[in-house]
Amino acid sequence: MQLSDKLKKQSIGWLLISSLIIILLLIPNINILLNLFTDTSENWQHIKKYLLMDYIKNSLILIISTGLLTALIGTLLAWLIAAYEFPGRAFLSWALLLPLAIPPYIGAYTYAGLFSYTGPFQVLLRKRFGLVVNQQYFDFMTMRGAIFIYTIFLFPYVYLLAKSFLAKQSASLVEISCLLGKSATSIFFKVILPVSRGIIVAGASLVMLEVLNDYGVVKYFGIPTFSTAIFKTWFGMGDLTSAVRLAAIAMGVIFILLYLEKLLRGGRQYSYSTSQIRPLKRKKLTGGSKYFATMFSFSIFGLGFIIPVGQLLYWSYLSDGSKWGNLLEYSTGSILTGLLAATLVIIAAIIVANTVRINSGILSNLFARITMLGYSIPGAVIAVGILVFLLQVDQFISWLMQPFAIEINMFLTTSLVMLFFAYLIRFLGIGFNAVNSGYQKIGTKFFEASRTLGKSVTATFFKVDLPMIKPAVLSGFLLVFIEVMKELPLTLILRPFNFNTLATRAFEYAADEMIYRAADLSLILIFCCTIAILLVNQLRKGREDASEN
Amino acid sequence: MKKLLVMIMLGVMVGSFTGGILAAGEVNLYTNRHYDADQKIYEQFTAKTGIKVNVLKGDSDELIERLAREGESSKADLLITADAGRLHRAMVRGLLQSVNSDILTKNVPVNLRDQDNKWFGLTMRGRVIVYAKDRVNPEELSSYQSLTDAKWQDKILVRSSSNIYNQSLLASLISIYGEEWAKNWAAGIVKNMARRPKGNDRAQATAVAAGIGDIAIMNTYYLGKMLNSDNPAEVEVAESVGIYFPSQAEAGTHINISGIGLSKYSPNKANAIKLMEYLSSAEAQSSFANANYEYPVNPEVEPSPLLKSWGEFKTQQINLTELGIYNEQAVRIFNKVGWQ
Repeated sequence: MQLSDKLKKQSIGWLLISSLIIILLLIPNINILLNLFTDTSENWQHIKKYLLMDYIKNSLILIISTGLLTALIGTLLAWLIAAYEFPGRAFLSWALLLPLAIPPYIGAYTYAGLFSYTGPFQVLLRKRFGLVVNQQYFDFMTMRGAIFIYTIFLFPYVYLLAKSFLAKQSASLVEISCLLGKSATSIFFKVILPVSRGIIVAGASLVMLEVLNDYGVVKYFGIPTFSTAIFKTWFGMGDLTSAVRLAAIAMGVIFILLYLEKLLRGGRQYSYSTSQIRPLKRKKLTGGSKYFATMFSFSIFGLGFIIPVGQLLYWSYLSDGSKWGNLLEYSTGSILTGLLAATLVIIAAIIVANTVRINSGILSNLFARITMLGYSIPGAVIAVGILVFLLQVDQFISWLMQPFAIEINMFLTTSLVMLFFAYLIRFLGIGFNAVNSGYQKIGTKFFEASRTLGKSVTATFFKVDLPMIKPAVLSGFLLVFIEVMKELPLTLILRPFNFNTLATRAFEYAADEMIYRAADLSLILIFCCTIAILLVNQLRKGREDASEN
Repeated sequence: MKKLLVMIMLGVMVGSFTGGILAAGEVNLYTNRHYDADQKIYEQFTAKTGIKVNVLKGDSDELIERLAREGESSKADLLITADAGRLHRAMVRGLLQSVNSDILTKNVPVNLRDQDNKWFGLTMRGRVIVYAKDRVNPEELSSYQSLTDAKWQDKILVRSSSNIYNQSLLASLISIYGEEWAKNWAAGIVKNMARRPKGNDRAQATAVAAGIGDIAIMNTYYLGKMLNSDNPAEVEVAESVGIYFPSQAEAGTHINISGIGLSKYSPNKANAIKLMEYLSSAEAQSSFANANYEYPVNPEVEPSPLLKSWGEFKTQQINLTELGIYNEQAVRIFNKVGWQ
């Protein structure tokens, strides 16, 4: 038996708990996926004949365009920020993360509202200048509009990953390219893009999953895609089986795209990393390119944050604040839910990540992949899987308690337990990825040393690992917090009686076509997420500084 | 300090979970109406009867799905949704039970409730034609069918067919004129559309004002909301369009309801029926309907002054159950004729 194998012993407890978490995560999903193996219904034939091609076409256009654009913009910005010095760089470095604080559907409502006939822009033109513009050019609710919305609010996923990668990993390559006399443009396209391809694809696939599962934007814009189709068949035709089939096709599409990307990459090894982490030395930009860098980055920030927030502030000013309910109640509801859910998710993520690290092998590889499952399936579809599963557990508990004359009736499904369970399933992948990246940085040397000194896996975890991965854990915590704050389908379907959050209230007002009333709620929501994003950035910066020393 | 925080969080967690256990002497309501005014009516009901109303808001279809999945163990007593088609869907799935209440049968006209009294309408809205006052002479308008005339080519605005109001409109036309007629009608509308269906009902009226088309099909209450909007530009839009109640010389204007049903496994049945009766009462009806610029179903209650100013109109006399019966056919027709 090798030393490292011995060291792994005693970790059986971790393995057991992790397996339990994974099984809990799998059951509701499997529950749903089993629908794939039932016979096709008459509805399915109808869907196939009249609708499927449209869904596939529109979804493909959306996913591919958004994926490419976020990759391009995210990487370009990351490159500018990581490699160059220009006015406003320090501010933009974190400000460019802020669009993530705005849920895309709120972004969609604000942009459509801004440019609509009754929006401030056209009203200004009409009232001040007597100009009535051709509506065609101001129509935001198009495919292009949707691509813009998704790109501008989701590109930070790519930017965040690419920035820290480039700052740390690309120094020597860039220096060599410079020595060889390459121009900045050719360095970007010939060196930076290929080298960071893996990271970019990772970020862009998160974006693509979000786009595929998003319902709010495409529904409002009237673009038939898979997610509108899933709702239409499930709720409109009462046909869950066909809805799941559509969801499966949609996931298939994503996997095919990712696989194609891998094929395109072929045998070429683009991944690049050195053990020597050397920060990239930023080059000072001069002349025209200096202003270009500043203006480009600022306009993206403006489009992704300033303009929508400005529009919401204007709406908030228009609406009569005294008319509607309890902002404080919704805010505390949202924030507490976000904090608790993030705690729960991150604890589970740490357990699974620790297990995966200690037990390398097929099983732990599988675990790592399964954590992302909940994030890949449309929220509304998982919601039903969770409801069905917890109802069964509830009935089991009642049955179990019967002999003791204790009446516990529907405890899980009428309480927040169900919602927290749902968040766990949905966001475990996000937490896991964050924690896992922390583990990958520290490697196993310290763990093995501690084990050799006779400490148990658990003691090692608390004394050695946890302090070292703390920044990663915290930033994972905050990322999950942001996601939970913005989350909609699960919260809407699985919440208990009398429970409201900022996101649900904002959505209800928007759905009732009272967008002005949603403005205050959205602003508070965006404010909370902004703070969380700033904290994440602070943590990352701390880590980067630490690794520079 | 850290430990203290953890303790507080745990405390909140436990507190919030146990909060899920509902006490008796209450009534549990699944509703897709989100209006703040509704909450006030529930509070009035509580003040009057001492019965607490617990509210779970959500999208109608999702609430129905949840109710179905919960089955016998559901805590829900009542289901309120917009659209009779949806209530019918809940009924067909066996989620509702009959209510024998003289008060309800007196307050709610017979065509606005299920024939077995499994659901009751509470508020009413018409799906009407809205036209640009400066470009359309209302005398040019007549019935739903006349909208398929060639003269309206590229002039009609209407939202997506995934919207239940359009589905119910078409279902009512199937019920009155038959499937073939309805299919031709839908195809005719698609041909006359000014643009691909997009946006909500308000967006259609706005598009009329902006000159993208001349007439829009929309629900009455959205016009009421626009006239009372926080945004002055939207009020202007609403004032620039006129409202026309179609098919007056024929079968009447299509109406729909938001309504309530008693859930099959209602644990607080007596309380639930009390709330149903209260919501149909003259006292609650005017505010319940006015909250959303809708027509009260209770014939004893007058609509709001704004709605009265639009005048009285003849409504389709079909039983609204038909909207549910023909819903699926309607959805299929929309898909076939390419009404997105």
